[in-house]
Amino acid sequence: MAATGSSPPRWRGRPLAGPEGASLVARLARAGLPELQRSLRYHRPRAPFCGIGQCTNCLVGVNGRPNVRGCRYVPLAGDRITSANSWPSPSWDLLGVLDLLFPRGLDTLHGFTWPRFAAPLYHRVIRRLAGYDRLPEGGAATGPAGPPAPAVADPVETDVLVIGAGDAGTAAAAACAGRGLETLLVDRGPPAEAPGPARLARTTVVFLPPPEGEPSRFSALVHEEAGPARLVRARRVVVATGGYDGPLLFGNGDRPGVVTAEGALALGLADADPWFRRAVVFGGGPRVLPLLDRFGTHVEAVVAPGAVSPAVVERASALDVPIYPRTLLLEALGRRRVRGLRLAPRGGGPTFDLEADALLLAHRRLPQPQLFYQAGARMRWHATLGAYVPDLEAGGATSVPGLYAAGTAAGLLEPAASAASGEAVADAISGSGVARPAPPALPESTGELEGYYVELLRRPRGRAKRLLCPCEDVLLTEVEEAVANGYRGVEVVKRRTGVGTGLCQGRYCLPDLLLVLAHLEGRPPAEVGYITQRPPVLPTPLGALARLPTATGSEEEGA
Amino acid sequence: MTGRSQYRVVIVGAGIVGLYTAWHLAEAGVTDVLVVDRGFLSGGASGRNGGGVRQQWETPATVRLARESVGAYRRFGVDFGYNVWFRQGGYLFLAETPAELDRLRAVVRIVNAEGLPARVLTPSEVLRHAPALDVTGIAGGTFLGSDGTLYPFPAVWGLFEALRARGVEVTTGTPVTGFRIEAGRVRGVVTASGTVAAEAVVNAAGGWSRDVSRLAGLETPNVASRHEILATEPLKPFLDPMVVRTSDGLYFSQTMRGEIVGGLSLPHPTGTGSGMPSSIRFLGTMARALTGLLPALASVGVLRAWSGFYDETPDGLPILGEDPRLGGFYHANGLGGHGFMLAPATSRRVAEAVLGQRTDLDPALFGPGRFLEPGRARQAERLTLG
Ligand SMILES: Cc1cc2nc3c(=O)[nH]c(=O)nc-3n(C[C@H](O)[C@H](O)[C@H](O)COP(=O)(O)OP(=O)(O)OC[C@H]3O[C@@H](n4cnc5c(N)ncnc54)[C@H](O)[C@@H]3O)c2cc1C
Ligand code: FES
Repeated sequence: MAATGSSPPRWRGRPLAGPEGASLVARLARAGLPELQRSLRYHRPRAPFCGIGQCTNCLVGVNGRPNVRGCRYVPLAGDRITSANSWPSPSWDLLGVLDLLFPRGLDTLHGFTWPRFAAPLYHRVIRRLAGYDRLPEGGAATGPAGPPAPAVADPVETDVLVIGAGDAGTAAAAACAGRGLETLLVDRGPPAEAPGPARLARTTVVFLPPPEGEPSRFSALVHEEAGPARLVRARRVVVATGGYDGPLLFGNGDRPGVVTAEGALALGLADADPWFRRAVVFGGGPRVLPLLDRFGTHVEAVVAPGAVSPAVVERASALDVPIYPRTLLLEALGRRRVRGLRLAPRGGGPTFDLEADALLLAHRRLPQPQLFYQAGARMRWHATLGAYVPDLEAGGATSVPGLYAAGTAAGLLEPAASAASGEAVADAISGSGVARPAPPALPESTGELEGYYVELLRRPRGRAKRLLCPCEDVLLTEVEEAVANGYRGVEVVKRRTGVGTGLCQGRYCLPDLLLVLAHLEGRPPAEVGYITQRPPVLPTPLGALARLPTATGSEEEGA
Repeated sequence: MTGRSQYRVVIVGAGIVGLYTAWHLAEAGVTDVLVVDRGFLSGGASGRNGGGVRQQWETPATVRLARESVGAYRRFGVDFGYNVWFRQGGYLFLAETPAELDRLRAVVRIVNAEGLPARVLTPSEVLRHAPALDVTGIAGGTFLGSDGTLYPFPAVWGLFEALRARGVEVTTGTPVTGFRIEAGRVRGVVTASGTVAAEAVVNAAGGWSRDVSRLAGLETPNVASRHEILATEPLKPFLDPMVVRTSDGLYFSQTMRGEIVGGLSLPHPTGTGSGMPSSIRFLGTMARALTGLLPALASVGVLRAWSGFYDETPDGLPILGEDPRLGGFYHANGLGGHGFMLAPATSRRVAEAVLGQRTDLDPALFGPGRFLEPGRARQAERLTLG
């Protein structure tokens, strides 16, 4: 347990300002754009990006525990918060010089082999560059305090396990419980305020192997924040894990100031934040609207990769915000953080610049598909989303008996469709009611994003680094080199370049890699290949896993 | 698709063993060779292993093969232009009981007799090599500093490109489905995209080698046994050697990328039929073992887990050379959990055999015929964990 006391939490040795009860990142953001760490290979400055605990940009140490995500961690009195991978500080880091020294990348694949006697020296130096934080001192390192583990019998048994308490999951759980099915709802977020079906809060399902036994049943591995990992057994599982705002490839796309739409909303970025005066929103669809509502006059422009929806046009015009439809985002300007954007009209035309302090990515909502892969569900390519979604029958049944999908995770983007899909799943599970047809998905306009990436990749490019995988600092050029050398397919390119092997588990690079490879290999993304999603869904502490019951009774395998 | 309809040698499996075998053939001037794999490059055990390279073994012949391979991996960057980051941080074996320690002492004597300076360690000396360990319950250990770990993928890329530059064909995505056999000799290989003629065939299919031998009507005692492995979040360097505990086969090292990568022995159903899944049971068992020996890891996250096949033999030694039952059919398999570290040396000898040259391999130890003479007492390698 974390030390308690009346002393305020300390960030890098100084008392932490900002509103109590808010996340570390939200507190720091009051004073300026928070730079929390440096990237792995080039020590490029990194600031919060996803805001939902998935990317690598806000890892800090808390009371000796490494790699705590600052956007989800709420500092408590007495906490000692440290920064990693930078010296003397994340804002002024001596090794930042690596970025300048290696303008075309650091070639650890071919380089450092000569002379042979220098190998031990190379090993020492390159090893130091790897990893963010240090091994916790002593065995008794404590993490950020969380609620004590609830006294639930282990394993938890239930009839229906619903994963994710968004619109779809909440509707599915309520409908299942309403039909008399024993239902357990699991969600990463805080406990619900309204009464409802049994619920495990602050809990993530990190591994869902295929069902086993006769009659078949699922054993899900769940992890409660700051608690032990445990098993939940269920006859039916509804995956309603929702979606997240996807990445975009452009020069210096990792610059501080580039934030996803949900990141900007979740971090509570507000008018008061001094670094956030002029934001450019990238996107032309419904994700743009909440940003216009929230940030209003601070939005400098809306830039869209394709067409702009009428609702966005209307809202932006009302706010006097200019719109640039069908525009390529080539590069973020600014050496240490976003100061502007370099753009070009699609279809050709000269580049032009916009001034900006922040770029909010709202162009692409991606489903969270990991659990479907782990459980062995058949997936299909969804061209509008530019992502794989489970192949569903009416009622949301996947190809795995007993496994259902609802909401954005199933490829549905409309909020109304989400709740309806949750209810449809409950109908299918309880066998009551008429099996409703699956709610309509968005029309699949093939190739929107594919076309954008083809144009982007064909254009002559500037000198700005294009990081395809910001977690591992893998450059687009490394992927291009791999393909030029005859390496084909996602799995091989991933192993060769390291794309997708970082702490976000590939969420912020593999979707781009698919589109890039589709172009480079000259075949549709669906043929480029599947991405094996390995457990766990999110990094899970060894200490939590060590507390699993010794004999779990069966193999519990998958993925 | 293959480029031609006939080759001098067809190698089944483009893992480290198949690629190295093709390389040694090319070095001897034979490039009329096809390496064919049903999956993608590095999709088998060669892309799924822990990268450990050690020379501490119970059988002197294995020590010699391993020592030769260490030399090959030290030179790899210069020879192939790819950096395998072979870091010689040593292998630290840990014993929990006096009996286990005695067994390790015997290993050290054998290794010393081969001229390598392995040493027996007291628990406090163990701590000096790996200060983060909790040595409670450790009776002692052994250490050899020239053992180490490497990054397996670049070895695959380096060999693949070197072979291509020599005109050797490496074809992926093409399963071998049978063999053409005439008059007690293998004459060709049937693949999903056609049949090619061959004078010699090498079975380098790793965990699938028993399945491939069966396609030629040959029974072998190989067992595909699934082994799971995991990697943690990367940390700054704190652990130099590969650590192996003999009692449960726990092994782990810190890679160049800072991740702790390791696994342990856990019985699973054998055979290649059930694929390569991960299991909750492994995550729990491994986490308990790892945090028991290295308590500071408790708050460090597991980043990913995966699994692959060990291609095991009853005596723990690989099967190398021509099958006495079928002319032209060569084995380069049965390398268990140690094929990556042995491949440079074992593959050279298989290539020599294919070329009809004399090898220095003792057929009683490594020959495919050894299992055909039941009841014969043979030497075996039992230090096969980790
Ligand atoms: C978890 C784990 C950890 C390990 N740790 C270590 C370690 O630390 N050190 C070490 O030295 N070794 C280790 N090993 C063992 C090592 O990885 C293997 O011994 C070695 O990679 C074997 O290489 P290979 O080329 O024989 O097999 P593989 O790399 O498995 O290649 C065999 C190839 O044959 C192909 N194939 C199979 N059937 C067919 C067919 N019908 N037609 C065409 N192609 C086919 C497969 O697709 C595959 O690519 C480990 C293994 C595992 C699984
Ligand atoms: S961006 Fe996180 S793994 Fe690539």
